[in-house]
Amino acid sequence: MRWQRGLWLFLVPSFGLMSLVLLWPLGYAAYLSLFDIYLGSREIHFVGLANYVQLLGEPRLWHSLWTTLVIAFGSVAVEFLLGFVLAFALYSATFSVRVFMILLFLPHIITPVVATLFLKWILTSNWGLIDATLLTFNVSPPDWLGDPIWAKICVVLADSWIFTPFVMLVLYAALQTVDLAQIEAARIDGANGWRIIRHIIIPSLVPVIIFTVSVRLMDVFRFFDTIYVLTGGGPGTATETVTIYTYQLGFQLLQVGKASALGLITLIIVAAIIATFSRVLQRGYGRG
Amino acid sequence: MKRRPITRVRNQALLLAALAIFTFVNLVPLIWAALTSIKNPADAFTVPPTIIFHPTFEYHRQVWVDRGFVHYLINSLIVSAGTVLISVPIGSLAAYGLSRMPQRRASPILFGLFTVRMFPHMLLAIPFFVMGSFLNMIDTYPLLVLALVAINQPFTIWLMYSFFLDIPRELDEAAAIDGCNLWQTFRIVILPLARPGLTVAALFSLLLSYNEFLFALVLTGIKTKTLPVAIASFGGEDVSDWSISAAGAIGIMLPIVVIMLFVQRHLVRGLTIGAVKG
Repeated sequence: MRWQRGLWLFLVPSFGLMSLVLLWPLGYAAYLSLFDIYLGSREIHFVGLANYVQLLGEPRLWHSLWTTLVIAFGSVAVEFLLGFVLAFALYSATFSVRVFMILLFLPHIITPVVATLFLKWILTSNWGLIDATLLTFNVSPPDWLGDPIWAKICVVLADSWIFTPFVMLVLYAALQTVDLAQIEAARIDGANGWRIIRHIIIPSLVPVIIFTVSVRLMDVFRFFDTIYVLTGGGPGTATETVTIYTYQLGFQLLQVGKASALGLITLIIVAAIIATFSRVLQRGYGRG
Repeated sequence: MKRRPITRVRNQALLLAALAIFTFVNLVPLIWAALTSIKNPADAFTVPPTIIFHPTFEYHRQVWVDRGFVHYLINSLIVSAGTVLISVPIGSLAAYGLSRMPQRRASPILFGLFTVRMFPHMLLAIPFFVMGSFLNMIDTYPLLVLALVAINQPFTIWLMYSFFLDIPRELDEAAAIDGCNLWQTFRIVILPLARPGLTVAALFSLLLSYNEFLFALVLTGIKTKTLPVAIASFGGEDVSDWSISAAGAIGIMLPIVVIMLFVQRHLVRGLTIGAVKG
């Protein structure tokens, strides 16, 4: 149709800005990753792929990847379990749904740094709410954030505290679309509540679940705030994810070239996740 | 199989009680911080925890006035306002363009935007910082605003796209027949109808830029530090400052709660597209 000519001009400002601010730095990072370059120093050596080779041979990188996966799957599991129970509870409740929704949603919508600080004040040894309570009853608590295993668990719980509301809301929205006639029919056929959940509700949620899981998996490669504030990657490197390691490389050790290489490795991993789930993602996003 | 009404009422009561208990436990960290912020340090760290105390708002005053958080609030407002004022207009333009294209041409672009949203931010933070240092733009507002606008675009476009799709194309056609060119159609006919969408997009973008931490941490300095960076570098280490940092944290949270009350009806739409957490 004639009135559609020139429509592409509407895309120019936004996509122009994005290519300037996203693609150009991306290319620059790829360029940096080929050099041995320290932030603030004038010396630059071209090293080809040496940064990548060095990184891939490093136990610290594999350790951080492993940590990322453990935290990712741990928190996704908690979030889905809790998120589903909550979504189903809200779905079954007949009133005050909105009030609960807003209250349950608070941890997700407040500034992540602030949310994490709230949790830190609960978990801090001796003076945190949990320790102070336990000490009152003469129970000596573990060092939540100082013990490698507890620190991981705390990071998973912190991530879950912040993201369960998100999963809950997505599942709640998906539950609204489940065919009520089907449920009614199953009930008439004598199916009990659990069988209805298992055979009707969960199968119809599968696309949404896969979509949300893959988004959350990629999020773990993006997010930084919670771990940075809660443990800083510690104790030692117990909670150091790839993102935290990249930050350490780039902004603490100032090895910009190596950090860029690690950034690109992360990008490749994320791209692989997107490629794997692309069909589901495309459909999930198509819902708008 | 109809259940008897008595069982139903009892089930609902149990359900609501369970929900209420969970919600309360879930919010304990927040409540505890709120209590800490109005306690004297002497009451703030005690074994057993102090529940009854004499409240004081002294620390709320101290954090904003004496510790300079007002300054960081102004920085946050400048950055957030800048981001919203650039992001929403150019995002709406692109979204309108996409919504009026044939679906088969718009879909790949929209999916491309989704992949952009999944960019690991750390990968961008490094070149941003290096380029920013070259251009001498570290610790200035424009650099951070540009970065936030760019990472905000996919979300803004997606959200506005879904609102524009709801406006029937027949209106565009009618406007075209009446002699409007594309720009006039958009500006005079479509945009006024998309006003609720614009408000929602603006509020979500505001939240996103107000909450953003990594780019703010890397690209700001003493002059342009935003609230999340300020509270992160302030908080938690020194136990004697607890009341003050708790007051700061609660203060940072309050505007978000207010915004949330405005956007709550649109949470589902905004969140499935991925607002709030960039």
